[in-house]
Amino acid sequence: MKPIIEIRNLRKKFGRTVAVDDLTLDVPEGQVTAFLGPNGAGKTTTIKCLLNLLAPDAGQIRVLGAPSAGLDSAAFRQIGYVSENQEMPLWMTVRQFLNYCRPMYPAWDAAFEARLLKQFDLPPDTKLRALSRGMRMKAALLSSLAYRPKLVVLDEPFSGLDPLVRDEFVHGMLEMTGKEGWSVFVSSHDIAEVERLADRVAIIHRGRLQLDEAAESLVARFRWVEIVLGAEAAPPENPPANWLGLEVSGRVARFTDSRYDERELDGAVKKYLPAAKQWRAQPMTLRDIFVALARTYRLNGAHQPAEENPSPAKQL
Amino acid sequence: MLPFTFQIEDGLPVSDQLEHAVRKAIFTGQLSDGDIFPSVRTLSQELRISPTTAHKVVATLREDGYLASRPGIGMVVRTPHLPERSERLNYLQPLCRELLREADDLHLEVEDVVEALHRAAEQAGSGRRPEATTHVAEAGNPTQKSNP
Repeated sequence: MKPIIEIRNLRKKFGRTVAVDDLTLDVPEGQVTAFLGPNGAGKTTTIKCLLNLLAPDAGQIRVLGAPSAGLDSAAFRQIGYVSENQEMPLWMTVRQFLNYCRPMYPAWDAAFEARLLKQFDLPPDTKLRALSRGMRMKAALLSSLAYRPKLVVLDEPFSGLDPLVRDEFVHGMLEMTGKEGWSVFVSSHDIAEVERLADRVAIIHRGRLQLDEAAESLVARFRWVEIVLGAEAAPPENPPANWLGLEVSGRVARFTDSRYDERELDGAVKKYLPAAKQWRAQPMTLRDIFVALARTYRLNGAHQPAEENPSPAKQL
Repeated sequence: MLPFTFQIEDGLPVSDQLEHAVRKAIFTGQLSDGDIFPSVRTLSQELRISPTTAHKVVATLREDGYLASRPGIGMVVRTPHLPERSERLNYLQPLCRELLREADDLHLEVEDVVEALHRAAEQAGSGRRPEATTHVAEAGNPTQKSNP
């Protein structure tokens, strides 16, 4: 299946700062892809480039099969976009705002609009300015779903939302389930927000893509390993590269194995920690995997100047 | 609301957990033959899981004969014959491994575990010690038993 978003060697600088650095990424159709990274990693810049809201310095992007530089209003009728810093006509009431959006989209589904309005508990006659942040985000989502777009792009939609609103937001978004080929590209600095939603995870750090993988395969290859040692021992000098965050404390050693294989791990434990008495490998949640990776990227990044090619972290 | 008991646990694929929960609900009678099964959209919304995951689970359950599609209604529950004893034993494997690991930590042998199981069964049978079931749940039972 053709990707719904294709990004090739995207580069974008602001003055001297490289916000996005040679980013190549395919977002598959019919899935939820989480685009993760700390604040300032380049998520918003990437999203703005792919929606033609910013001009890239280099690289090619195709959205829904067409170059993003040529995205026209017809293409935007198939894309729903909600961002953390959404600009909205704050002087309008919720009803006025929806009346204003409706004529722009021939496919606007009034019944669906009414259902979402009720689900989101939005007061139609209140001005957007008077709404809480959460309510405003729900209004923005409503206006971006009511025409049943094929692609939904969400930029940090959950930040600053209380858990109940976040929950309503996700529930409302999933109303779209069942539309053929419906795809979601959602950025977040906090994986916990999208943990169960994500079919695929892409991680960006300092403008570079660090990882792009199916959530299932990530969960399959990562394990949290705890080893009980027979006697106190120093950590090995050169542990395997797939042992992330190795720590030894007293008679316990812990690390995250990023390429788990029971037999291989058993061999490696015997080789690098001969004092090992027993070990235990536990499956990890996406959240824990993300934290382990983020820590490793930060450690790796600390040694490397931003301009040089860091060791390809994809191998982690 | 979903018509069967399901609580997501960390660290295991949601799809496996959901499949397991539905099969169990069918065996225990929580879901019975002809019941309307929630749509992919309802599953995904209620559990806040990806539609792809929900779709996959429904497809697998259908292939395995637990669900059938009925035009105009959607999916309905099919009660297949109780699976082979060996397959049912397989369901207990994860819990058994957990139990054996715990026993190992306490320097207990398999025979000791069997004794502990007998004890727990006696207590559960007498109906005076509901703690016995609680202990199993704490050991990582992915579903909660609801007594009608």
